Amino acid sequence: MDTYLTQPGQEKSRTSEPAEQETIVVIDDDYAMRLSCRKILSKMGFRVETFEDGGQGLEGVTKLKPSLAVVDLKMPGISGMELVTRIHEVRPETVVVVITGYPTVDTAVGAMKCGAYDFLPKPFSPDELRLIVNRGLEHHRLSVEMQRSEMERALLKRRFITFVSHQLQTPLVAVHQYLDVLKQLDSMESAAKRQEWLDRCLKRTEELQALIKDWLSLARIEGESFSRQWVKVDLQGVIAEILKTYEEMAAANGVCLESRIPDDTYFVVGDRNCLSVIFDNLIVNAIKYNKPNGKVTVSADALGGEVAIAVADTGVGIPEKYRPFLFEEFFRVERDETRKTPGTGLGLSICRKLVSEMGGSISVDSEVNVGSTFRVRLLEYRARAEEEEKKGSSR
Amino acid sequence: MTSETEKILIVDDDRDFVEALSAFLEAHHYVVLKAHDGREGLKLAKMEHPDLIIMDIIMNERTEGFFTVQEIRRTVELKTVPIFILSSLYSQVTDFGIPPNSSWLAHDEFLPKPVNMPELLERVQRRMEERHRNPETPVGGKAEM
Repeated sequence: MDTYLTQPGQEKSRTSEPAEQETIVVIDDDYAMRLSCRKILSKMGFRVETFEDGGQGLEGVTKLKPSLAVVDLKMPGISGMELVTRIHEVRPETVVVVITGYPTVDTAVGAMKCGAYDFLPKPFSPDELRLIVNRGLEHHRLSVEMQRSEMERALLKRRFITFVSHQLQTPLVAVHQYLDVLKQLDSMESAAKRQEWLDRCLKRTEELQALIKDWLSLARIEGESFSRQWVKVDLQGVIAEILKTYEEMAAANGVCLESRIPDDTYFVVGDRNCLSVIFDNLIVNAIKYNKPNGKVTVSADALGGEVAIAVADTGVGIPEKYRPFLFEEFFRVERDETRKTPGTGLGLSICRKLVSEMGGSISVDSEVNVGSTFRVRLLEYRARAEEEEKKGSSR
Repeated sequence: MTSETEKILIVDDDRDFVEALSAFLEAHHYVVLKAHDGREGLKLAKMEHPDLIIMDIIMNERTEGFFTVQEIRRTVELKTVPIFILSSLYSQVTDFGIPPNSSWLAHDEFLPKPVNMPELLERVQRRMEERHRNPETPVGGKAEM
């Protein structure tokens, strides 16, 4: 959760001193073990509670809601393995670390299967305990953060239409607010400022128009009113046409465009219009999120009945944590550079829909500050022809 | 009328919205602090202790504003700062499925977007006056979670 929960000035000491005191529960029937665990973990700044059997331990977990539980596997009463399972039932967020005096691969695997996060054989040194507890807590913090992120996302996803209307409202609200303030403050804003604001208003209305256009095409793709013809398409023809359209935009951004696809070599099965939409989006993105003196390279490669078309840029790249959401509707990478770049957050989800309709797939490789490569795999025309030939000859 | 030292923190991911709103509030002699996501907003709130916070709910495709308000209320020095909650999506907080008696929201004000500027100014001035009259009154309520 890093600095999000810490007080200012506390951030540096976070690893040794958590901002909110985290609770750790130790469940072990051995008094000496409970005592030494308590001593080591309290010193690290955690609140530590110990219990001498599974029943009490489980009650403690329910009541104290600990971030982490240290559980001895061999105890009278409820067995350690069962305890791990039961802890997960009452509090799935609690990370369980198992300790045992009888370490075997089987017990370790068994504990992991029951949901334990890590395994520590007895006897262990204080350093080993500290290391494993810190690792367990880091895992706990990450999963809490992820869970929160998912909750926030789910709250909106549940009402998708509401969300769309929010996206449509946002630019409108900005324009309204500028106009309102211009009206309210007629005497005091400088002429330059007024001009700047009016320019922003125009930009935002353009953004709204682009959003409505993309939203409509997405709705049309889903509604199947988009007429499609599955034919043989020469890739180079499609790509060359798009690159030509964006020559000017690329030059204005200081980006160089290059196609490495030879003429009359790669043919795919698909709809020409759909293919245009897909590569149009990918190439525009590659220009938009590039750097000055950057490059966009389109290349193709045939393998196993498929043609893989790669659109590679030398731009800002996409941090790994955002990649799973990249093809979702309205997703945009949160970053200072991209805030200035207009975009609807719909382009890539349109691409994914169209590609999968043509029986293909789309994926991305990226490295931050080095660039991104989007790869579209489509059925090679030759492969289909051969398939049909085979069918024909076997008849 | 208003003192130069009254600080208002605006947290909204739409930079144009923040620009327009802050120009308006600055014209009425408030000092405006700007943040564009929850994390930045929380950090500024903790560092600067603003007299009032204006918080958008939906930021970066998520309902980040709610969680930020919760985090703000967890900070001792910020338990009483008035928070104006903004959204273009609904006209009241309960529309988000938030119970009206949530202790961390109950004493804050909700404003639909676009914001009516004279109304905003009036509400801001009223809150500032209340704060001046009785700085000890916990405007944010008990704010226990």
